[in-house]
Amino acid sequence: MALLPQFLANGVVIGSSYVLVALGLTLIFGILKIVNFAHGEFYVLGGYLAVLGSQLLGFPPLPALVLVIVCMAAFGWGVERFIFLPIGKHDPTNVIIASFGLSILLQNVFLKVAGPEPMIAKSGLPAGAIRLGSVFLTSERIAIVAAAAVTVTVLLVVLRFTWVGLSLRALSENATVARISGINVRRVAVVTFMIGSSLAGLSGALMSSVFMVQPGGGVLVVMKAFIVVVMAGMGSIEGAIVAGLGLGVVEALVTGYLGSEMRDIIGFLIVIAVLAVRPQGLFGLKTERS
Amino acid sequence: MLECRNVDAGYGKVQILHGLDFVVPTGGLSAILGSNGSGKSTAMKTVAGLVKPTSGEILLDGHRIDELGAHSMAAEGLSLVPQGKEVLAGLSVEENILVGAYHRRKDRHGVAEDLEMVYQEFPRLRTRRKAAAGLLSGGERQMLSLGRALMARPRMLLLDEPSAALAPKVVGEISDIIRKLRGRGLTMLLVEQNVSMALELADEIHILREGRFAYSRKNGPDVDIEELREFYLGKGRS
Ligand SMILES: Nc1ncnc2c1ncn2[C@@H]1O[C@H](COP(=O)(O)OP(=O)(O)OP(=O)(O)O)[C@@H](O)[C@H]1O
Ligand SMILES: [Mg+2]
Repeated sequence: MALLPQFLANGVVIGSSYVLVALGLTLIFGILKIVNFAHGEFYVLGGYLAVLGSQLLGFPPLPALVLVIVCMAAFGWGVERFIFLPIGKHDPTNVIIASFGLSILLQNVFLKVAGPEPMIAKSGLPAGAIRLGSVFLTSERIAIVAAAAVTVTVLLVVLRFTWVGLSLRALSENATVARISGINVRRVAVVTFMIGSSLAGLSGALMSSVFMVQPGGGVLVVMKAFIVVVMAGMGSIEGAIVAGLGLGVVEALVTGYLGSEMRDIIGFLIVIAVLAVRPQGLFGLKTERS
Repeated sequence: MLECRNVDAGYGKVQILHGLDFVVPTGGLSAILGSNGSGKSTAMKTVAGLVKPTSGEILLDGHRIDELGAHSMAAEGLSLVPQGKEVLAGLSVEENILVGAYHRRKDRHGVAEDLEMVYQEFPRLRTRRKAAAGLLSGGERQMLSLGRALMARPRMLLLDEPSAALAPKVVGEISDIIRKLRGRGLTMLLVEQNVSMALELADEIHILREGRFAYSRKNGPDVDIEELREFYLGKGRS
């Protein structure tokens, strides 16, 4: 029992990264109705960009993160504009297949450009663990939680209290009402995609100083993000925050008490149990058909 | 003034509207009647930019609008209250109203003023302004949809079956509001299945049948409700 606080803290760290990845995924799904299987590779790309910024260019932590966010926003813009938009024009379900293809393509680009060796970013933060009560955490891990908390807060404030946020939420509710109200669906689609991929990249960048960045690293990440998004209810922002942190904590407890073999299975078991009881997810509204 | 000039429109390869041609003069109110599936909503969606005409022109105050997308219509001065009391169910009542002012969001003062105007017009929306719009009753949702459309400060308002599936008392309230808006000089196009409501409000009546006007006449004492019904039911000759 003495280790419980430490396990919880580890869970919150991992959970924070799940929240960021899942928020991007759920935003893109909720607003654009695109299921983006390449989202895990967006996360990995963020990690590589952090390695680039911190190791090769020698940027301090904050400018390195800004570099990641700017590059990922531009990358998201390009993917939406040049891949998903033209492919989705004829049949939206083609986008799902295209995102699978993009995922595999990106994995191979990573392999070709960065090589198979795992890499780690230099955080530039003071080394050594910091003690908080009975919990020890490295400064990188604390930074992950802090950065996630700031990002999520900013995102929630933007969504709740700005016109941009209103246009995003309106579009996710009802595209026709949004359009006749004067909302330009194309513009919102682009903004959403840019935000979503920045969130994935930011998460990958934050985690890159703790876990190795490798070409195939996105596969498990996107699975976890899907667990979170489905468990929360597709498109639910608040749900993704709760479910992401929850999954991180449960995994940390399972790893701590039952061993790490169970860690990557537990999420799937939970999501099956949740869907059996609440098919719309924990926070999803029951969809009415009239 | 709204002018529809020989408009064809449809979905994909299926043509629904065939040479629709009519004018709603400034300050006027025209009604389109027709049975289910006759193309009334398609006509509304075409005017509102949700469906692109395959030929013909649509002009608002002499200015072509048929090539603009639906999202530009609010700024052009045209608002649609769609069929089915559609609202943004997960958003609050107030957010639903505000979204109608999206194109003039920079005009903070004007938006606040109009929000107050909508609340004065529909006091029930004020008491429920923090509630999720999906929780409202049918009548309240229709009021909300109307309030949202008015936030755009339209010159031209399209109303698609505003009285459908509402209690007689609420239908009366909606009629009163339409009358009031018309008193303020708003130009309106009203789609209805409620013949008596249309006769009560409109200056001009059109009956749509299989995507064509089967009947178009100025409203007046010589309009015979029985004849209208016959056309409506598809028995009359054009
Ligand atoms: N989105 C769509 N895609 C394809 N066909 C459609 C679509 N919407 C309507 N239609 C078809 O177009 C025709 C006219 O439909 P429309 O909705 O305009 O009728 P309406 O007169 O408004 O009927 P109602 O009184 O039931 O509202 C119908 O045959 C309908 O099936
Ligand atoms: Mg209709």
